[in-house]
Amino acid sequence: MPPRMQSRSVSNTLLPYLTATSSSSLSSIPSLSSSSSQCLSRQFSATAAPQAQTKLRRQMFEWLNTEGAVFKHHVPGETNYLTRLKQRGPETSSDASRPFPNNSSFISEPILSEELRNEVYHRVVEQKMSLRAVSVHLGIDMKRIAAVVRLVELEKRQRAQGKPLALPYARAIHEMVPTTPLAQQGERQEYHEPINDLPAHPLTGSQIFYPVPESRSFTRVEAGRVFSGAPAMEHSEAAEISHPSDLAEKIIEDPNSIAWVGKGANARQILQPADVRIPHPHMVALERDRLAHPNERLAVSEKQSKRLKRQDAIEKERRERLQARREKKLTVVSPEDSRFDYRIKDTIYTPETTGADGRGSKAVGRRYGVPHRDRTRGEIKIPTRVEA
Amino acid sequence: MRNRATNTLSKGKIRQSWSKYNLYNMQRFRSPPTINRTFFQQKWSAKAASRAYHGEQVREGQWKRMFNHRIRSVIPMNASDLAADDGSQASSGRGSGLDMGGKPAYQKRPTPYTQMTFAPLERRLDVAIFRALFASSARQARQFVIHGAVTVNGQKMKHPSYLLNPGDLFQVEPERVMYATGHTKTAYERRQGRLVRRKAKAQTSEEEVEAESKETAEEETKETAEEEAKETAEEEAKETEKEDPKETLKALMAQAKSIMSAGKDTLAPQRKQELRGFQQAVRRVLSRSESSTVLADSLEAQFSQLTLLLKAKRAEKKPDNKDVKLRPEDAFASDKGDRELAAARKDTETAVSDKLSEAFSQATLGNEVDASELSDEEFETLKRALTQMRDNPLDNSKTYSTPWQPRQYMSAFAFIPRYLEVNQNICAAVYLRHPVARPGSAEVPTPFGETIATPAYGWYLRRRW
Repeated sequence: MPPRMQSRSVSNTLLPYLTATSSSSLSSIPSLSSSSSQCLSRQFSATAAPQAQTKLRRQMFEWLNTEGAVFKHHVPGETNYLTRLKQRGPETSSDASRPFPNNSSFISEPILSEELRNEVYHRVVEQKMSLRAVSVHLGIDMKRIAAVVRLVELEKRQRAQGKPLALPYARAIHEMVPTTPLAQQGERQEYHEPINDLPAHPLTGSQIFYPVPESRSFTRVEAGRVFSGAPAMEHSEAAEISHPSDLAEKIIEDPNSIAWVGKGANARQILQPADVRIPHPHMVALERDRLAHPNERLAVSEKQSKRLKRQDAIEKERRERLQARREKKLTVVSPEDSRFDYRIKDTIYTPETTGADGRGSKAVGRRYGVPHRDRTRGEIKIPTRVEA
Repeated sequence: MRNRATNTLSKGKIRQSWSKYNLYNMQRFRSPPTINRTFFQQKWSAKAASRAYHGEQVREGQWKRMFNHRIRSVIPMNASDLAADDGSQASSGRGSGLDMGGKPAYQKRPTPYTQMTFAPLERRLDVAIFRALFASSARQARQFVIHGAVTVNGQKMKHPSYLLNPGDLFQVEPERVMYATGHTKTAYERRQGRLVRRKAKAQTSEEEVEAESKETAEEETKETAEEEAKETAEEEAKETEKEDPKETLKALMAQAKSIMSAGKDTLAPQRKQELRGFQQAVRRVLSRSESSTVLADSLEAQFSQLTLLLKAKRAEKKPDNKDVKLRPEDAFASDKGDRELAAARKDTETAVSDKLSEAFSQATLGNEVDASELSDEEFETLKRALTQMRDNPLDNSKTYSTPWQPRQYMSAFAFIPRYLEVNQNICAAVYLRHPVARPGSAEVPTPFGETIATPAYGWYLRRRW
């Protein structure tokens, strides 16, 4: 186990001092009694003095001073949402993490604790583990892991440069919001979020009546073909697939093996089963191995590590190939006395870049018959992306 | 753009804001009645209520163009379920699986699609800044962007309506964030800040005039910077010179303890006085130690110097006693007043592994201070007080009240949605992906329930129902 950086744990405990704030603000609220006494003192006035506060304001301050007083300051380590007022029965855990009393479907999800964040960085950058492996071990989405590495890197750089940091602010936020802690040595790490989310494909939204004999088994692979309007598989082809997760391994090896349906602009790839489209298809393969060989745990885990290694190698090779192809197309000119690099790319005029009619707005360069729209009135020039 | 997003009590609209007016409006909000009202009226009022919260800074036409009836959703998959069934079980029988004695084969929780109506607005830079808890309202976030305090992928971005792409990293200046989320200054603090600024101004003008006589200028700046604090420190240092080092350290710890144990009823100025006293005491100890070449006004230098001093004490204690660390929960408990309880629940197994103790173990120096009588708890208290003094100093030149503390009523609004990954230390966040709905929960934070979300979604469909 690597040494953990737990700088937070000490500093977190500092907040009691900070959070213990004054109760003086109560006295700052203008009270009715004082204003009415003022009215009495002005006896020369014939008309009644206007009310110091409207009814609504009075009601609001009444609420803020009684029921709402609990929201003024937070208690470290607990959430402090409006839903705590509505609790009449026994307190449930889901209630404490709902910020909006009227909206039961929004939950304040835990964020990564400082130690867990540092652990992610340690594993990815220092131990050189793959994002996929770290994601499975810690139960964190792969996109989040990449973002965490980026952010911790940036933080380290800013610390080295001596730029200002918002440390007390960070401490306060980590006390108000639920966090996922890093497991102690020997304990099992609590999963931060579901990592195998299947995005709902728009094609699956339609309701299709597709009669199948009861005697025939109808799998996810076939359902995907029905949704995308592809003809049923040949018997020989179907016989090769014992389980939909077989397809996943095949597609990782060769992504071009997914067949297409439709013609021209309507051409689309056949919808693949969930086993292929989830972020961690290898987990299904592992579960299948476990089911098939329940008593050979060592062999199964060895097979899994071999599988992961092979998939990583394939992915790495593909990434490098893509990078090389991109670099081949690009010429970078960096003059010595210039602050700028010039990246020069050849323009390509194909239907993919200029559109089917050659007038696509995304294509580069001045083209005959295609007016530049950027000077016309009302044209929005807000950037649509910023290169990292 | 004129700010029409006022928190009026008579209208009772909910806004993207942390103000106490908004909190009050939020708790008293009730869904508009549907009885005796036409569908049009129901949808209209639902739209009005939800648009007051979601992107009131966006024109209606602009939002209509952004709206998309198709809503992103995901289904969390279980690998073992997928491995056990290739889909033929779920489709067996008459197409929806065999009857398992009334128990459904798959858990079916409804996905709250219509709660995601305003998901496209969450892509906006100003809204994302508000969601990342970097600003106290969407309007303030918008101002931060316009005033040039926000970068996207390292480049300054001045358009609040910039639509973030998945993977974009945005960052707000930490000072602005501290200002937005911190307590406001009192009149006294504002005045002190003015004095500091005036002094600094006078100094710079003097320096310009007396450019030749550098030495005198330096002396002056030193004097003005430290002023009374140093004088008193020197005086007290002389007084305490004869004292035992053990005694001074003990006094220091008592002071730290009084700071840490300040209850909720202690007034802010009083605690500030305590903190000032603690700072002075620290200076005193430093001036007594041999290597007091470090300037007393640099907090960082003070901190490292004191940790070195403390190290001596630690090294002495190590052989016979194990390091003990307070667990966070214990610390919270101690905040409430039951210190004994916390002490009883100490976790002896966990060794101190933070940077401080690393620095202790790595540094090698002779023992100067003999303070082995001090308990571990006291030692921890001192360390915490020191760290806090370093991270959260008293500084009236800041735009917020110092030492920084969260603004009132902030905790009721504090949540970070899953589609953002935030690093609060540098006030940067990554927009990971677009918000999605999943069975039982929707990621778009909205204070409205199903009875408002669904009619509002219906309002924006091209073909209304």
